[in-house]
Amino acid sequence: MRSSPSPRHLTTGPAAAALLAAGLGLLALGASQLFSEAAPAFKDAMQTLGNAWMPGAPGIGPYSGKETVGLLVWLLSWACLHAAWRKREVNLVATGAVMLALLGIATTILWPPVTGWFAHH
Amino acid sequence: MTGPTPNTSAPAAVLWAVIGLLGIIGLTVVFLTAPGEALLGPGQYAIRGALHGTAAGLFMVTSTIGLFQAYRIFTGTAWNIAELQIGGVINAAMALLTIISGNWIYIPYRAGGGPRSHFLEVGPEIHKVFFEFKEFAALFTFPLAVVAAYLLVRYGSQLHERKGLSTVIAALLVLVFFYFVVTFGLGAAITKLKSV
Repeated sequence: MRSSPSPRHLTTGPAAAALLAAGLGLLALGASQLFSEAAPAFKDAMQTLGNAWMPGAPGIGPYSGKETVGLLVWLLSWACLHAAWRKREVNLVATGAVMLALLGIATTILWPPVTGWFAHH
Repeated sequence: MTGPTPNTSAPAAVLWAVIGLLGIIGLTVVFLTAPGEALLGPGQYAIRGALHGTAAGLFMVTSTIGLFQAYRIFTGTAWNIAELQIGGVINAAMALLTIISGNWIYIPYRAGGGPRSHFLEVGPEIHKVFFEFKEFAALFTFPLAVVAAYLLVRYGSQLHERKGLSTVIAALLVLVFFYFVVTFGLGAAITKLKSV
């Protein structure tokens, strides 16, 4: 009698890469909003970036560029981290904690009164 | 003597065919008889508004199911992996659709004479605090839902014995629901004050 083979153990590296990349992307989103509020030139750059590829970007405004920054940082960091960690065991508790911290920071700096305070100091 | 046994061999395809047929009949009756324009409401952006509202409404359903699945994953009582995987992918797809349709409706919101101008005139904080936070909080749902779906698909067969991974997925689904609720609540309130 043959027993069914146990599934191959998948390393935690890809999971950690996906988690951390999402946190980095959201932090980049928050940072782009902060810099836009602080520097008109950065806000213009966000508009230019959105115009480069997003349908309707002129109507959406600099928000289109901020979405782009978040998307690019998320996907590029995911690809890089995945390549680096795909065969490694990575501590998910530590990565999850870092991701939550990034999420918390991004949420805080996107709360408009906080954004305004940082942008003007 | 044995009692009647349930007919477990009836193909699920028959059930889906009946559901599909009933749906087609229902939609046909609605489209032929209902005043659709009254349902969409007045204004040149009524279709955009209806699409965004529908996407958000469907996302509310999938993210709520996600919250329930998170509880079941965390407590170890949800082990129909295929169901979790399909639910996770649909949840991520609904997040994306809601964001894309949100971008589309954002154009008339920002346009001259739109709700943004109105709010900046009568109550700037409605736009500068609540709307601006909502527009960014909405974006959080997509990467979080994608990562949850990715982990469900990649590690699905091993979640039974890997508590750390299932806890991470449960936490992600809860976060998706949290950011959705914040966004949906603010969006509904702002739309109630002035729609596009």
